[in-house]
Amino acid sequence: MSARRVLAIAWPVLPLVILVALPFNGLNGYLLALLYYTFTYAAMSVGWNIIGGYTGYISLANLGFFGLGSYVAGLMLTHLGWPILLTSPLVGIICALVAAAIGWVALRTRGPSFVIVTLAFTFIVQFLALNLKGITGGSAGLYLPLLTMDPLLLGDLFYYYMLGVLVLAIAVAIGIRRSRFGLGLIAIREDEGKAEGSGVNTSLFKIVAFMISAWFAAVAGAIHAQYLNYVDPDLAFELIIMLYMIVMTLLGSRGTVWGPVLGAFLLFPLQESLVYWVPPAIAGEVHLALLGVVLVLVARFMPNGLLVTVQNLIGRPPPPRWEPVPVVAGEPTPARAGRDE
Amino acid sequence: MLLLQGLVLGILVGGMYALMASGLTLIFGVMRLINIAHAAVIIFASYLSWQLVLSLGIDPLISIVILVVVFFIGGALLQKYVLSALIDKDLSLALLATLGVANVLEGMEGALWTSSFHSINTPYAENTYQFGEIFVPEIRIITFAASVILLGGLYVLLNHSNLGRAIRATTQNRGVAQLVGVNVNRITMIAFGIGIAVAAAAGPLMGMYYPFYPNSHWGWIGKLMAIVVLGGLGSFRGTLLAALVLGIAEQVAILYIPANWAAMVFFVFLFAVLIVRPQGFFGHVARESL
Repeated sequence: MSARRVLAIAWPVLPLVILVALPFNGLNGYLLALLYYTFTYAAMSVGWNIIGGYTGYISLANLGFFGLGSYVAGLMLTHLGWPILLTSPLVGIICALVAAAIGWVALRTRGPSFVIVTLAFTFIVQFLALNLKGITGGSAGLYLPLLTMDPLLLGDLFYYYMLGVLVLAIAVAIGIRRSRFGLGLIAIREDEGKAEGSGVNTSLFKIVAFMISAWFAAVAGAIHAQYLNYVDPDLAFELIIMLYMIVMTLLGSRGTVWGPVLGAFLLFPLQESLVYWVPPAIAGEVHLALLGVVLVLVARFMPNGLLVTVQNLIGRPPPPRWEPVPVVAGEPTPARAGRDE
Repeated sequence: MLLLQGLVLGILVGGMYALMASGLTLIFGVMRLINIAHAAVIIFASYLSWQLVLSLGIDPLISIVILVVVFFIGGALLQKYVLSALIDKDLSLALLATLGVANVLEGMEGALWTSSFHSINTPYAENTYQFGEIFVPEIRIITFAASVILLGGLYVLLNHSNLGRAIRATTQNRGVAQLVGVNVNRITMIAFGIGIAVAAAAGPLMGMYYPFYPNSHWGWIGKLMAIVVLGGLGSFRGTLLAALVLGIAEQVAILYIPANWAAMVFFVFLFAVLIVRPQGFFGHVARESL
């Protein structure tokens, strides 16, 4: 293995070591929280990318899964006393099963019904959170018991927990990208009819991709509920969260492993700095409108996203989908021979 | 008797739903694009109409004329300079661009008009008529009549003009339309403009009927999508029928369950139709070449 190849595979270790080391070197307070939020959005964007980027189906349900995850985790804590930091994978699995049901309705067919159903799903979950007052507390929300811990250590705990989720998300994204499953998803994106014709079980692949995507949104929602110690229908289903996942993925490069991560690490700190130069009374609205503008501009002028665009600029060709058949020197290639006759 | 009351109110509100959803259907027909910003455009038109009443004293019904022209131009420009390039490349990009537009409108409305409730007041229409045991507010008759007139105009335009024939040809088969000499790119731009103009026409009517605030378009887009899916995506007749069916179902439901739960009627229909008959009332099963 050449040094170059080692570097190509092992480079993520360096940023990871830095991120792990930061809290030991006095990182706390605002910057720690900023990074925690960035990890959260990055993990959800990587998850969204699996259905929205690899498979090419625009899901607006991931916000619904984020909120559903918050509520399921919150209810398990308040009713059963199960700590969220331990149950979050289970919460993810519950939401992934819901995703399977939604996918069964919306992904059996091709075409536009998926986006409609996913949006409807998000509305329905939010509606139920708001109106099933006996269970969810309605608009007053759920207050969760505080974790009894030194607040400084608590910040570090959430930081590492979410970093772990992000690392897992990236590992899963890499694993999918290199598997037959991932190839199948990309085949679906490129031409679903041909993918089906060549033996890909498209319905199953799409539903599994959607479930994995939902798992990360739900886990992030669960952890975030404990982070805030509070769940309410407005916070858990804030539409800007959905917009973030999509804009970060698209800005970074959808369909790539690192695009959504890059998008999150660029966009979230950048938008946080908006606070310093927008009047606070309209900051939320300006923020929303600006994200919309970024979305339209990226879609129109840089649809490949930063990562792919930069790679193309510095002349590195995109990785081949499959290895070309090597041609043995001296022998005429079959295609050429056929044409000459 | 109570049921009859629900039926009458359902038809009246269904007429307005039909107007709100028909632009969405038209746009889906020519571009195969779900315009996520459709309800945001309606709400934006409501705000502009509200502002026109306040600043210039223009009656909301008159303001429809102004809004239709302005929004037609705006829609056509958006289609020409943003969406048309995306449609050819990747439909999902165009979809995301409309999501972006929805958020731009929502954020802008919040910054300009705050995020509190607004509604367009019409002091001349506060009566309620009584027919037998049925009570009908005057405002509902006015909005219904205006919706029917506007839908009638759209119907005549689509069915009895060369432009309409070109739009329908483009909807049915883009390639063949091009072969017989339709400038499909231009027609798509015009049809998108018309779709946005119809949304703008629905804005003042919606604002006279219901209060609105910047993010209320999310509630509306859910309802409108349920209507167009039930009708069969891209089918104009289906949209009209589905709007009436869902309008009646909602108004009847309100009689028996709390009003906020009645909104769920739309989603129940949406999921039921997708499970039982994914192509809706009048839709065709989409065929794609292998």
